[in-house]
Amino acid sequence: MTWINFEAYYIAIVVCWSLSLILLGFSYRTKKLFNYSFICAILGTLALIWFDVELWMELHRPPMRTLGETRLWYATFLPIIGFIVYLKWKYKWFLAYCLAMGILFLTINYLHPETYSKTLMPALQSPWFIPHVLVYLFAYALLAASSFVAIKSLYSFYKNTFSENDLKLADNLVYIGFAFLTLGLLFGALWAKEAWGNYWTWDPKEIWAFLTWMMYLLYIHYRFLHSTKTKEALIILTIAFIVLLICWFGVNYLPVASTSVHTYTQS
Amino acid sequence: MSNHKNQHKLWDFPWAYVESFLIYSGILITGFLMEIFFPLKTTTGIIFPYNLFILIAIVALIISFHLFFKNQVFVKWLGSVHAAIMAIIFIFLMVMIMGIIPQIKTESTIIQLLGLNSITTHWAFLLILLLFLISLGLTTFKRILNFNLYNIGFILNHLGLFIALSCGILGAGDTQRLSLELNEHEPNWRAYNNKTNEPIELDFAIYLKDFKVDEFQPKLAFVDNKNGKIIHNDGKNLYLINQGENYYFNDYEIVINKFLASSAKVGDDYQPVYDLGAPPSAQLTIKNTKTNKTVSGWISSGSFIHQYESLKIDENVSVVMTIPEVKKFTSEVSILQKNGERIETSIEVNNPFSYKGWKIYQLSYDEERGKWSTKSVLELVTDPWLKYVYIGIFMMIAGAIYMFWVGAKFKKENNHDVD
Repeated sequence: MTWINFEAYYIAIVVCWSLSLILLGFSYRTKKLFNYSFICAILGTLALIWFDVELWMELHRPPMRTLGETRLWYATFLPIIGFIVYLKWKYKWFLAYCLAMGILFLTINYLHPETYSKTLMPALQSPWFIPHVLVYLFAYALLAASSFVAIKSLYSFYKNTFSENDLKLADNLVYIGFAFLTLGLLFGALWAKEAWGNYWTWDPKEIWAFLTWMMYLLYIHYRFLHSTKTKEALIILTIAFIVLLICWFGVNYLPVASTSVHTYTQS
Repeated sequence: MSNHKNQHKLWDFPWAYVESFLIYSGILITGFLMEIFFPLKTTTGIIFPYNLFILIAIVALIISFHLFFKNQVFVKWLGSVHAAIMAIIFIFLMVMIMGIIPQIKTESTIIQLLGLNSITTHWAFLLILLLFLISLGLTTFKRILNFNLYNIGFILNHLGLFIALSCGILGAGDTQRLSLELNEHEPNWRAYNNKTNEPIELDFAIYLKDFKVDEFQPKLAFVDNKNGKIIHNDGKNLYLINQGENYYFNDYEIVINKFLASSAKVGDDYQPVYDLGAPPSAQLTIKNTKTNKTVSGWISSGSFIHQYESLKIDENVSVVMTIPEVKKFTSEVSILQKNGERIETSIEVNNPFSYKGWKIYQLSYDEERGKWSTKSVLELVTDPWLKYVYIGIFMMIAGAIYMFWVGAKFKKENNHDVD
């Protein structure tokens, strides 16, 4: 049971996005259906943003503390990235991916309801909290999208339908995502200095965030060096995403987790 | 393209992946051997002025490499993307060990022998970082010499990383962390070094006027009578107790009739009382919506003086009040200087106070006494290299913003494939 009626929002959003996905599928045959699909997607996203705002106001704290709350932001950012990419490069399949991932993450939250604790420990009560988490999740959403492009491209390699343009899309997503990842990492360091007197302590979450950063750094340098070795670049991008997932969820299950300040324990 | 590759002999110009791999592997093996035979036992790191000498030596090496040995195959390799990629891979591997094996004392002799639980002071890690820094510095230096507007992003990112990394690693030995224990209405100037535990006399004293703890409302939890465990939401995200609210859990409807933030038991009731150690309490009515049976009574979290009180709903389930979580803790202090002047300030988590090169942080308090604690522990941190690390960090932030702004477009300017 929650104070806020997530179920109602969940159903409304999922109906909007599913309808959008169906219309998007048919729009490959009947072009004008895509406009309706786009409108449905936007309606669903607006509903989710409304829910985020309402939750934030109801809790009297930024809803960014638990894994479930971070999934919520992820589900919000993905479709937004999908819209921007569509408006800029006209990738319908990419919008579909973003909506599907959004539905997946909301469904995980639906199946594991939280009561959204209102308490927030003193160390998290900082002006750095919101930029650190939002910038990170925006980066994660972009980089997840880039990895999806990578996996799709690897698949098209085997089907011999690979197009250089897809990799350019991946590059764009990685560059912007990496910029945000860097900001998130550095904001975290500045915050840590204010809260604990240390900007870097090799906390397990920091270690894996650093490893994630290194993997995308590797991709960028590799792409810079070999602009034609696309397949290897795609493999690096796929591995990078696995490291990112370990950083986001996996750290909690590693033997090092007990020494972390980032395990999102919920009191 | 592939013909060209096959003709390339090992250690012929230019060095690529195989040579890079061999160089870094050699350093890795050397580092591990050094770790086995002469492990670094230091806890303090390199201190001033030796760390500055090392930094000057690294910079001098980079500059002389570029000025005098520019055409040497090794120097050419140092500044190449191949070297950068291999450095990233090897640093990745070392840091990954740190991310899997807890960096604490261990029973395992193999981990101990190879130093896998102390990567930050591991020879292999330090040597790899050193070569990486030289590589990074050389690449950056070359770009700075060929400065043009397209290079701004490159220079911000690479020089920023070089400054932040070198000053961060070398400056670590000069950071000092002291803890200072304060009791209310008493001054103290004797702090302890967190690492070595040696006492250090400060040339100022800190007087604790008042220590305050703000708390959240306590929470309501359902407990299994048989094993005493919280059965609600895996013990997470319980309900906050607010007067007049009602909650539903399984077949129970809970109404909070009354909440007292500070109270004492008088007979069967609780009354508002503001004594030392007076715990919060709440009066509840719980209705089983299936059987329509109603239970009423008080619960209290208890404190370090008073016992807690739970309310039994039926044979299986009881309701308890959790100890309130801390929202904020603050030390109201005066800093007493040698010249007799006082500085009044308050210190709390995320809100340190800067004084004479020290940053003073709120660290902890007597947690057993909670909000009645009269003790506060402050931490004093000094890090003379911090401003340089920050210069590096802010350059990287600027570089990241540039990167976001320009996106992948700037690649078009430099798109050259060496294959």
